[in-house]
Amino acid sequence: MAGETKFTVEVLTPEGAVFNGEVVQLSTRTVVGEIGILANHVPVMAALKPNLLRLKISDSETREWAQAHGVLQVFASHAQLLVEEVHTVDQLDAALLESQKSDAEARLADPESGEASKEAAERDLERINLFLELARGA
Amino acid sequence: MANRKEVNNRISSVKNIRQITRAMEMVAAARLRRAENRIAHLRPYAKAMRRMTRRAAEEAGTVQNVPILDEREVVNKLGILLVTGDRGLAGAFNANILREGLRLRDQALADGKEVVFFVVGRRGDGALTFRKQTIHGSWTGFTDRPAFTDAREIGEALTVAYIDGDVDRVEVIYNRYVSPLTQYVHRLTMLPVQEAEVVGEGVEALTGADGELVEPEGELAEAHARSYWDYEPDAEELLATVIPDYVDISLYRTLLESAASELGARMTAMRSAAENAETMIDDLTLEMNRVRQAEITQEILEVVGGAEALG
Repeated sequence: MAGETKFTVEVLTPEGAVFNGEVVQLSTRTVVGEIGILANHVPVMAALKPNLLRLKISDSETREWAQAHGVLQVFASHAQLLVEEVHTVDQLDAALLESQKSDAEARLADPESGEASKEAAERDLERINLFLELARGA
Repeated sequence: MANRKEVNNRISSVKNIRQITRAMEMVAAARLRRAENRIAHLRPYAKAMRRMTRRAAEEAGTVQNVPILDEREVVNKLGILLVTGDRGLAGAFNANILREGLRLRDQALADGKEVVFFVVGRRGDGALTFRKQTIHGSWTGFTDRPAFTDAREIGEALTVAYIDGDVDRVEVIYNRYVSPLTQYVHRLTMLPVQEAEVVGEGVEALTGADGELVEPEGELAEAHARSYWDYEPDAEELLATVIPDYVDISLYRTLLESAASELGARMTAMRSAAENAETMIDDLTLEMNRVRQAEITQEILEVVGGAEALG
């Protein structure tokens, strides 16, 4: 479809901006489920789960990243994503992720671990598992 | 008086020192610039985060069920996180942190509290181990180039310790960065997270207009400002998932400032070491000239003496 309405997207991490520009569609996943944002979307604020972040810039160009936990805000056709980590899929290191995975699983299984420690390990696993899946699938 | 060869050797070894310290100064200066850039990169993220949190807090009305916001009435176990460097040769950078940490420990012990140490950097780790302190958590190997994932790992450990009751409060001691020449030891309460820091007054000043994050304007913005927001999950729950990030963000900032301070301190220390070497070379060169002159004088005397004896 020619002449699709675009909106601006800013992807920020603590280590700097990863993307800042106009896109046709943004898709990722919130704690509630998959979300797709187009121009003129109603204002939204959402907690993001680790997912494949996809920005459709035009019919022929789509950019993708492995995205960790974060927050999304959409206001007046301007989307802001604050994400802990963002990597292109080829930057992911499967071997390193494997070792992080077994570390997190050990913490989860450790009977000494308290409730908060298990929750933290689960959160880590969510991210590590997604990154691993993407790294292997690449 | 030393002979010529000895003085010559000393001069060349001091020259080597001057060269090495100069090189280290330049390396530190280059890294310092990068560390400053990283601090600048964090700013837009931190600001946007504050703005979002504030909006969610206004919507939610109350902030509840966030254990890391709960102030404990009685602090029995005080957690102290020392942020030091992996390497020395940076003036009093590491020593200052350690001194302040031990002072805080003595004070806490005098008040009948238990002290739980956490430490970043090999220097602090080594010093505490040497003093036979039990270290609850130690992170090393990244102090001159910390990543956000390092901060998240530390934040997770501190938060877990706080929620599970291993500590009732966590104080961080680090070198605050002002400029390459100025750093000072600063103490920060990391846990519980100060509510004022997150949603209170004073936040507005930090989100002020410096052009970094431009709020959209126009018809749509006005319409959206009046319309309902979708919150996923609801604002209160959202707030509970966002607030723990504050620990990671402020730890990351702390690590970045400490890294910049370390490099600044090293740069300054190496510059004065190079200057000292310079002075020493001047002195030794004078000494060298004196020795050479003495030798020449000696030789002339010998020749004259010999000629007189023959005559």
